[in-house]
Amino acid sequence: MGIKRGVSLYSYQQSEWFGRMTWRDQLEEVAMNLGGATGIEIISEATIPQYPFPSEQFIFDWNNEIARWNLKAVTMDCYLDVMQFRTHVMNHKEAAQRLMYDLRLAKKMGFENIRLVHSVPLEAIEMALPLAEELNVRMTNEIHSPYPITANLNLPDVDHAFMGADWKYRHSQDIAFIERTGTKHYGLQPDMGIFQYRAPRPMLGYLLRSYVSAEEAGRIVDEYYRVFDEAGESAANKYMEDSCPAIMESKFGFMLFSGMSARPEELYKIAPYIYCIHGKFYKMTEIPGKPGQYEESSIRYPEAIKVLKSIGYDGYIDSEYEGQRSQQDMGDAGLADEVEEVRRHHEMLKRLIGE
Amino acid sequence: MYDSYLVVKDTLQNDVENGKTVGFSFGVRLANYRGIFLSLVNGFYVEVDGKVYSRDEQTFEINGRPARSMDEIAKCYWEHWDMQDMGRVHILEEGGLAPGEHKITYMECNLAYYGYHGKGCDDEIFVKNPPQPGDPMGSEKTPIKNDYVLELR
Repeated sequence: MGIKRGVSLYSYQQSEWFGRMTWRDQLEEVAMNLGGATGIEIISEATIPQYPFPSEQFIFDWNNEIARWNLKAVTMDCYLDVMQFRTHVMNHKEAAQRLMYDLRLAKKMGFENIRLVHSVPLEAIEMALPLAEELNVRMTNEIHSPYPITANLNLPDVDHAFMGADWKYRHSQDIAFIERTGTKHYGLQPDMGIFQYRAPRPMLGYLLRSYVSAEEAGRIVDEYYRVFDEAGESAANKYMEDSCPAIMESKFGFMLFSGMSARPEELYKIAPYIYCIHGKFYKMTEIPGKPGQYEESSIRYPEAIKVLKSIGYDGYIDSEYEGQRSQQDMGDAGLADEVEEVRRHHEMLKRLIGE
Repeated sequence: MYDSYLVVKDTLQNDVENGKTVGFSFGVRLANYRGIFLSLVNGFYVEVDGKVYSRDEQTFEINGRPARSMDEIAKCYWEHWDMQDMGRVHILEEGGLAPGEHKITYMECNLAYYGYHGKGCDDEIFVKNPPQPGDPMGSEKTPIKNDYVLELR
């Protein structure tokens, strides 16, 4: 058993957007070039043509390709656009109907889980629960930065439009719900981004480029990392405040410079409820002095995987590469190589898991 | 996201109906890693050579169907704009554009978010008064206006 490796096709979003890789190419890449990765996660509204009404042919082709490459359909990531009907905000019953529809679609495509967006009301989840049990497809709520694993009232107030009103308590409410109902069909899906302890290089570079030249942005990123390594977080944040005050006040500043939204040890508290994990990463860099070995220098992967091993987690970590999104403002030459980034990520995962 | 690519190269053309040039159009892509329901598309910020064109002067062509007004698009609750697909924004402008290069400043405006909103933002208000083209709330993934230079085909 042990931790299993997979890939969210989110990682190849840019190749898909530019028409350079189809979902079939992506499945082949996972099966052939990642040294034994078997899991597949998708974004429902990216991979499924004419979602939510794909053709029967597509469903057949999907299941056929999954079988062909001996892969496992792990999780389908679903969304909830509450303005969809435009004349009114989607009510909780309508939200439950959307969930139930996605559960049925996931079943047809062989998925074990569907991932919900964090603000789906528990009332809607409870309405969909009997169907999830009948189909044996589990629902997960993603624990995504800056959400804490358990209520942390010391966090600053944030008015981001996309954060649920109860964001500081949300996953504590999830745990209480799971314990009250005793369900085996609603659980949690931590995203490794909650263990992000400093600003990822690509994202920091992108934000800086809205204030300074690309060259200057690159220099500031390097210097922020150097100061962080030598003098720690407060010194690095001070350096950033001095070199680009606007960035600290921007709406993303809070997420980039406030440190981890959870500690790896907190995974112990939710061990029985972890159904799947997002292996979020932004950039894999070669470890100095270790050719061919890579690390994600903004996220505490070694510590988190150590905890997961000690709790006996035997589900999937699905790579979720996101660095490409911050490099699309510099033209073709600046675009990231998603395939190579994911290969490097799996070199790291394999080594840390101890396969 | 996709800042350099949201308005598609080599797609700017004049629209001719019954021998008369009624406007112009160009191709656009979604600033997102997923597709969205068409009903969520609330128009586009379009400025060409310094002139801003409102939502009422826009129609949108997608999914192999003739261009539809933004009010019709808002009623397409179950039709999807797939992430892989280019749509075409049509602008009413008698006589169209002159030959040569034109500067297009562009930002999308749609209502696709992550579920119910949190504090400081009210879903009910969005039903009555959604963000209008040009409001960064309407393009969460690329909340800035980008410039593109296209030559009329």
